[in-house]
Amino acid sequence: MQKKKLLEMRAITKTFPGVKALDEVDLYVEEGEIHFIVGENGAGKSTLMKVLSGIYHHGTYSGDIVFDEQIQHFHGISDSVKAGIVIINQELALFPELSVYENIFVGHEIQNKKFMNWDETKRLATQYLKMVGLKKVDIYDNVGTYGVGVQQLVEIAKALSQNVRLLILDEPTAALNEDDSERLLNLIVDLKKKGITSIMISHKLKEVEAIADSLTVLRDGKVICRMDRSEINEQEIIKNMVGREITDIFPKRPKFKDGEVVFETVHFNAFDTNKNRYVVNNSNIKVKKGEVVGVAGLMGAGRTELAMSIFGNPLNYKISGSTVVYGKVHKLNSPSKAIKAGIAYVSEDRKGNGLILREDISQNITLTDLGKISKSGFLNFPEQALQSEKYVKDLNIKTPSIFQQLKNLSGGNQQKVQVAKWLFAEPKILILDEPTRGIDVGAKYEIYTIINELVAKGMSIIMISSELPEIMGMCDRVYVIAEGVQTAEFNIEDATPEKILAKATL
Amino acid sequence: MKKINPVFKYFLTLGSMLRTNIRDYGMYIALGAIFITFSAMTNGNFLKPTNFTNLLNQTAYVSVLAVGMTLVIVTKQIDLSVGFLGAFLGAYVVVAVEVNDQSVIVAVLSALVITIIVGFIKGYFVAKVKIPAFVVTLAGMFIFKGLLMLRTNNRTIPTTNTFFNKIGVGYLTDNVVGTVDTLTAVVGFSLIALFILMGILKRSKNKRLGIPSEKIELFITKLIIMSTLIFFITWTLARFRGISYLLLITAVIVVIYHIFTTQTVLGRRIYAVGGNPEAAELSGISVEKILIIVFISMGILALFSGVMYASMLQNTSPNHGPFWELYAIAAAYIGGTSADGGVGKVVNAFIGSIVIMSLKNGMALAAVNSNIEPIVLGSVLLLAVVFDVYTRNVRGADMVGMHYAKIEYKEEYKNAKSKFNEIKHALKKASKEDNKDIIELEYQYTSALGDLNRIKDTIRSAQEEDYIGKLRNY
Repeated sequence: MQKKKLLEMRAITKTFPGVKALDEVDLYVEEGEIHFIVGENGAGKSTLMKVLSGIYHHGTYSGDIVFDEQIQHFHGISDSVKAGIVIINQELALFPELSVYENIFVGHEIQNKKFMNWDETKRLATQYLKMVGLKKVDIYDNVGTYGVGVQQLVEIAKALSQNVRLLILDEPTAALNEDDSERLLNLIVDLKKKGITSIMISHKLKEVEAIADSLTVLRDGKVICRMDRSEINEQEIIKNMVGREITDIFPKRPKFKDGEVVFETVHFNAFDTNKNRYVVNNSNIKVKKGEVVGVAGLMGAGRTELAMSIFGNPLNYKISGSTVVYGKVHKLNSPSKAIKAGIAYVSEDRKGNGLILREDISQNITLTDLGKISKSGFLNFPEQALQSEKYVKDLNIKTPSIFQQLKNLSGGNQQKVQVAKWLFAEPKILILDEPTRGIDVGAKYEIYTIINELVAKGMSIIMISSELPEIMGMCDRVYVIAEGVQTAEFNIEDATPEKILAKATL
Repeated sequence: MKKINPVFKYFLTLGSMLRTNIRDYGMYIALGAIFITFSAMTNGNFLKPTNFTNLLNQTAYVSVLAVGMTLVIVTKQIDLSVGFLGAFLGAYVVVAVEVNDQSVIVAVLSALVITIIVGFIKGYFVAKVKIPAFVVTLAGMFIFKGLLMLRTNNRTIPTTNTFFNKIGVGYLTDNVVGTVDTLTAVVGFSLIALFILMGILKRSKNKRLGIPSEKIELFITKLIIMSTLIFFITWTLARFRGISYLLLITAVIVVIYHIFTTQTVLGRRIYAVGGNPEAAELSGISVEKILIIVFISMGILALFSGVMYASMLQNTSPNHGPFWELYAIAAAYIGGTSADGGVGKVVNAFIGSIVIMSLKNGMALAAVNSNIEPIVLGSVLLLAVVFDVYTRNVRGADMVGMHYAKIEYKEEYKNAKSKFNEIKHALKKASKEDNKDIIELEYQYTSALGDLNRIKDTIRSAQEEDYIGKLRNY
């Protein structure tokens, strides 16, 4: 017998300027099941959930959402909550300075003519916390004093207090350690028995295998397939997730021959005190002269955290273990020390961490080593212009002049400025974090060409990328990271996208 | 393991409570220290009935501003305009009464309408147009200074209306100085009785609902301290002229705002908006509406402040207004309001304003060079905020449990400590000599540090309950 369809999304299409994020997506979820949505980074999973929960208002997309046999028009998150759909994002919507019991009811307070009914609030909060298995939590404590694992469960308690029927969890276990993850998954199964339907987005295929009743695979904004419980198997999912051919979009360079090890991490750990877990767990990587080393892994696996903790640890993790640059142990406890040691880091977030968009190209490029263009503390502007001109020409940055403000450049050219900025510091080891995110194919090719030129000159490159084709096409060797742990190392000849993904999903 | 001496245990329990709630009690301890210092410097004159009553009266206009400012800062905003806004509204009322012959009630009501409109406009620019509150209210500060000068025509206008003057200098009863004011004494004893009754009721309710209450010895200690304080304050007031209208108005406002911020839906939403605006919006709270309400509330309190100040000095003057808002902001910060938003209690802001005014009053009384006063005030403010930052991540501690744990883990702690020191020493030596083993040593160093911290954490988080079973075995 066919069960009732609680949710049906019909032909959902959502476009952003220049990109079709969702393309005629059809998806249904039966009442009382746990449905997973899987796909590579950028496949459109989160966008789809934002459409469903009304964060993208009705009218900004095409297609129909049918919930509980009625077509719904959500104009904001409060509408979807009223209907019984609650989304829990990766960024938790909690109030760290408020108590646990108050957090559960913020926005839908239990009131007695505009006055808080604290007794009832506390009683119900205790009850909901018991339902999510938080018996040890003191409801009087501020939520901020607990770790992400507990906070996530408090969010679920909040959802329960809003009479949730369809619970959406966007990568709930990405930030959790193993125990907390298991607790969460058990809870979801538990809630299923109580009649609550769930949609989960997850990269961890072991989880999918363990508790999914059905799943939908998305790729490039399209639905690739739907699988039921009996059909779910890891190999099949990975095949459907990857599914594309690597075309010849990478410039060739001579095959890498062995070289001296120029950079090394030894038993290197980074502990995030806010999240109370290791974001880098016993990393041992080696980089040789003139080599491009890839770091593959899913979002939240700890790739950027690894790069940041090598590059002077600006996020103040607790670091243990050693970094060795050119055979010498260096304590890299600030970015300026890392730069001095010869390391440069091109950030994935070029607008937030990489560039000063209001300033012009020459100022941005020379920022990493102002000493080089100044004399007794005064800037030498002709020298600044001259140096900048050189990098603009070398990297083929398309701009009318070096005095152009960065915000007027295209994404690809901004990215080249970011690379130029770090080349100006004359590093020996260059870390590129998602160097081609959000730029078009032509600009990608140019970035790849620059990479090839740099390694030909003897520079070593660590390249973090979410795009497996890029890893396959550009790297000589690749490390795979999952949940902060280095799970595999491949020479590129031995690697396949399937092998990498299998190691990245644990 | 030996059972702990009950007297020692009592002090450990008291210590744990202070340590756990240091953020709440820190300011009271500071206020106590200030009181004692000035009493000593002035041969006890500081806490004599006359000066103590004066001190509370002088604090009134800053207190009400500080109460409103707390909510503004809780929502991560600021309001620089309220000093001159208050002075302008005071002038508006005085001129309406003295020059235009309006009744006080009508004048105050029209001032109320003005301040609500002004609050709405400020809130609108901040919440809807999204101009930083600093800029909006800085503009307001200039504008209200101008309006104040216009309204007073740049001269001091004395107030003659008896009703208006009574607000600023009157007392509830006509007590003769030197005798004891009956009403104040009655109020004092009722407050003590109320306090004890409410405490007991709350305990029994907690018991009924199965919510754990604080330990009985702490409860009694708190009751005794609070009762003594209330007794001392009312007794001091009663021996002068009793309760002034200024004090009464301030107390009523503080109580109303305390209830508003802790017991009403709207009040709690203000804190939610301050703590995490994005999450508040996602929880269905209109952040814009809340911000506008907060600025309107601030304006209404500025009206109270202006009227109280004008009637206390019995005049209005173009010189009123400067620094009021800064005292209010300082009082809120001294009272533990967090600049990061979402945290702050109006009662503590009230205490904060008493701290500020005590410093001013006390130094004047002790004949300290008045040029030093702002320096002391500034230092106290800075210290208060530094204290706030350092105590932000204070975790609860059970010192009784820690006492037992220290005994239990004594050996382990000693071993871990000596091992750590050993490796630390070796590492230092190796790094001087550029030794090859340095990587291995660093690894050992971090793991030794980890072991030591683990034991420290175990001791730190020990609870008395964990040891109840073990104690019986001995």
